[in-house]
Amino acid sequence: MRQPDELILEMQGGNEMAFARIYTLYSEALYGIVYSVVLDSAIAEETLQDVFIKIWNNSKSYDINKGRFFTWALNIARNTAIDQTRSKAYKNSKKNLSTANFVDILSGSDSLNRSTNAIGIKKFVGQLKPICIKIIDLLFFKGFTQKEAAEELEMPLGSLKTKNRNCIKSLQTNVLG
Amino acid sequence: MTAGEIIESGNLELYVCGALPANEEQEVLMAISKYPEVKEEIVRIESVLMQLSKNTAPSLTAMVWSDILSTIRSVKTIPKDTATNWASVLGWAAAILCLGGIFWMMNQNGTLKEEILLTQEENMELNKSLIEVETELATTANLFEILQSKDYKNIPLPGNQAVSPNAYAKVFYNTAENLAYIDIKGLPSAPQGKVYQVWSLILDPLTPKSLGLINDVTSVAENIYKFEDIQVAPEAFAITLEPEGGSETPTLAQLHTLGTVTP
Repeated sequence: MRQPDELILEMQGGNEMAFARIYTLYSEALYGIVYSVVLDSAIAEETLQDVFIKIWNNSKSYDINKGRFFTWALNIARNTAIDQTRSKAYKNSKKNLSTANFVDILSGSDSLNRSTNAIGIKKFVGQLKPICIKIIDLLFFKGFTQKEAAEELEMPLGSLKTKNRNCIKSLQTNVLG
Repeated sequence: MTAGEIIESGNLELYVCGALPANEEQEVLMAISKYPEVKEEIVRIESVLMQLSKNTAPSLTAMVWSDILSTIRSVKTIPKDTATNWASVLGWAAAILCLGGIFWMMNQNGTLKEEILLTQEENMELNKSLIEVETELATTANLFEILQSKDYKNIPLPGNQAVSPNAYAKVFYNTAENLAYIDIKGLPSAPQGKVYQVWSLILDPLTPKSLGLINDVTSVAENIYKFEDIQVAPEAFAITLEPEGGSETPTLAQLHTLGTVTP
């Protein structure tokens, strides 16, 4: 997907219609990030609201010339979701889910019943190498830096980069065709 | 680095994830503006990751968007309101004006109270002087009545040519009540240390009797003095200038006025 720079600029100017289009384009992807962190659809929806309110309020701090809008929003989504898991209310309702990754979520019956897309992708993701799942989970869903991820996986930085690229490439071939 | 090398480095994937350190991010940015194929690759990577993420979560309910919209709208209107809230500005202005008005009125009230007090004092002063004037008027009217009544003999006392040629006095003598009023308007004021003394006289043999001094004791009105208890029916009245305190016998050298009583 090409980045909708004009929409982003209009949103930065306070255009609600443009913001609505941005929401349509990015909400599902960001919801997936949030959901993979909080692991509860009600809490995830609430958190996603906060994410988009932050996007709206801080839209001017994003610079089209200095990075992808998705990367910028991704960062907000991860941070907001992580903040949510640190809240007292969340800790009281959820326990010991920190080990879950996006594949665990896909395998869960809850998400399968709700999302038709998940059925197709589940089959494919299930065939991903375990190392790919780990790498993508840390770098994309959890927001680790390359250095943190390399340390976590006890892997040289160079091979982390190469493996990550190959994992995403195979995703691309299988998911997007 | 060529575009191909950059693409193969695996940095673009990390760039999209936001996992690159700042300096390497800068390199990617430069490569993007330099090579269109790098940009294409980034778009591809982003699409894959977004697709993956989308499929990780259950579908979203419509409530999320409507809640976002209502939140940003209520948030948006607040700063707008505070920026140009004329109602609030007017309200405060009115409140300040009102407060100022109250202070002004309190101040005015204080000033007016002071003025009332002053006016009351003035009134009291005026009342006092009115009473004085009325008393004076009553005395004068009383005197006037006395002088006009037939019970009083009007005796002019012309000035002694030798001592005080321009002086004169008048005596109003009531024989029945043995009293007299003396008008000394025509007398020059007594010099320092001296006092006028009034005498009744029997002429043959010349027998003077002091009636009293022209002073505060005998004064009844301006220039009018009252002398009572005039025992012997006098044949004349005289006024002499005497040392302070008066004398036993008149100093004839200082006889200012003299007038005889007509039978």
